[in-house]
Amino acid sequence: MMKHISRYSAVILAIVAMSYGLPAGFDKVFGQEVGNPLLFFSPPQKQFIYRESLGGHRFNYMNEEGTAFSRAEFELQLPFLYYKNLERKKLLPVSIDGKSFDKETIKAGKQGLEIKSRHLDGHHQQIELYPLFNNNPEVAIMPFPEDVFRFTDKAMEFINADFNRIDTGLTDSFTAKLNKEGFIFPATVIGGKTTNLKPFDEGFFVRDSEGQVFHIKRVLDKPEIVKTPIDSTLDIQDIVISENKRKEFYGTVITRQGNVYLISYDNYRLISLPLDTYKPDNMDFKFLVNPMYKTAISSGLQMVYGTAMDSDYKPLRSYELERHNPTPLLVTISRDLLFPFQLRFDNPYRGQADLQLQFGGLWSLVGILSALALFVLISRRKKQLSINKGELALVLVSGFFGLIALSFIDKD
Amino acid sequence: MLSSLLLKEWLKLKHYFIAALLLNCGICLKIFFDIRQQMHSEHAEMVWYQAIHIQTVLYQDIRYLPLVTGLVLAAAQFVPEMLGRRLRLSLHLPTSRVVMLFFSLLSGFLLYLMICGLDAALIYLTLKIYFPVEVAASSLPTMLPWMLAGLLAYFGGVTVLLEINWSRRIFLLLVFAVLIIMLFSGSGYGWFIPALPWLIVLVPLALLSVFESGRRFQERGV
Repeated sequence: MMKHISRYSAVILAIVAMSYGLPAGFDKVFGQEVGNPLLFFSPPQKQFIYRESLGGHRFNYMNEEGTAFSRAEFELQLPFLYYKNLERKKLLPVSIDGKSFDKETIKAGKQGLEIKSRHLDGHHQQIELYPLFNNNPEVAIMPFPEDVFRFTDKAMEFINADFNRIDTGLTDSFTAKLNKEGFIFPATVIGGKTTNLKPFDEGFFVRDSEGQVFHIKRVLDKPEIVKTPIDSTLDIQDIVISENKRKEFYGTVITRQGNVYLISYDNYRLISLPLDTYKPDNMDFKFLVNPMYKTAISSGLQMVYGTAMDSDYKPLRSYELERHNPTPLLVTISRDLLFPFQLRFDNPYRGQADLQLQFGGLWSLVGILSALALFVLISRRKKQLSINKGELALVLVSGFFGLIALSFIDKD
Repeated sequence: MLSSLLLKEWLKLKHYFIAALLLNCGICLKIFFDIRQQMHSEHAEMVWYQAIHIQTVLYQDIRYLPLVTGLVLAAAQFVPEMLGRRLRLSLHLPTSRVVMLFFSLLSGFLLYLMICGLDAALIYLTLKIYFPVEVAASSLPTMLPWMLAGLLAYFGGVTVLLEINWSRRIFLLLVFAVLIIMLFSGSGYGWFIPALPWLIVLVPLALLSVFESGRRFQERGV
């Protein structure tokens, strides 16, 4: 009995190692990785245009209709994005729909926000300690606070970094103010930008245990807390804050159902973005604002979706772009034939290990049948009287992985 | 009989164990002084920012130490046994091969656990002095895959040493090498947390695989 258990343990370890290492090695040798296609709404063309990688530093610049552009022509179709290049070519101001846009107008009307799925709450490991910047109107730069805060079951605690001790003064004043505003501890979602590389600080948006969202700022070391009218029934996954001089919205609220709202400066009114295809679990999201249009782009492994809106967030045009896969068909088929599945921990939409057993396509079944045929042939050559059913089952579920493992870790 | 077996293993391992222990303590001490120096020379809040939000692992120096420790213990215990095939003498003792091997592995395993436990405690305490408890606590699941890699290196090392067939030995070496490389993937703190229960399963499988090489050694090598 022990003989079988120990042998099969070694065989299983070998299958695990091969299913992790061999497909990854194969991809390293034969695979071609290409970057995400860049999809934009072109104000002069009134349609989407894109840049997709063909592999090997070759790019396609096209519009929806299939018209190809050179790189310089492509930049001309996106004057609000490439305005610095246009300025050097002395092509500013640009005129679109009878309106003229100079450098200053373009700069003042631009904003970009990118939300990677791997940065969303629950998609990566995050120690729940945050710096709350102290807003001081008399100081031009934004110094890092000497403390971080955490939310416990009954308080908003500040811990001083110099002494690694709780700052009771700040803790008491912020907790008392939160209690006064009706905050129900603990916090369930904490959203804020933790860097000082931003034009100003809007503090943190924090969802309490009953779904209410509070806006928390620190002004001259005093709490400035607002209970927002944001709907407490929203199933919020994350709140992403992005301070911008345009001061149109604080940032975005993303729900687990894939709804995206902007938190406007107009008394925290939520602006719903018209997105049907966005899935925060496995898609990245971009929101681009220019002086004429707003564009929401969501991209997954297979498709990139774009929706262009006017300045009132009314949808104008949508476009779906299938991502180009430059891997030759022969390589894809060979991979499926050889490897019935792949064990992997990496996931482009997670900032932490995501254990997955990814199965191959139909050609994997052909691969498994070939491995089974080889197994029977080898067994016959060894003049075994009967084929071991356990080994047969192992090859049936693991194809060539099992065959190779059994060949090396054979019965004596 | 079993106490004599454990004594024999201790006599083989003690010098290597003490050397490994000193090396591990030395590296932990270096990490302590590095962090202390950084906290004194930079703004503490910026070091916190690096550790919490940039995900700089300040105890990175310990990353490959459990791997080295596991390999050293496996070599110290079984290289002498394989030289001149001395293990066959132990296999003639009036106790089963499985029990004899189990107690040999148990002694190495316990010493490895002592060293790793000490590493984990020293790193945790160092971080606890200079950082909030959340940062100290995050070090434990961060270091666990490295310690599992050391354990796989220990059991894998013994499996490979006991194996008598060269092609099979090389195959097993590659298998354990890939599994160990797998455990060092990822970056930042706690990267492996969602997969940890599955990774721990590899350890009993690696332990059991030693007995297969042990059986083959006895049946074909003696």
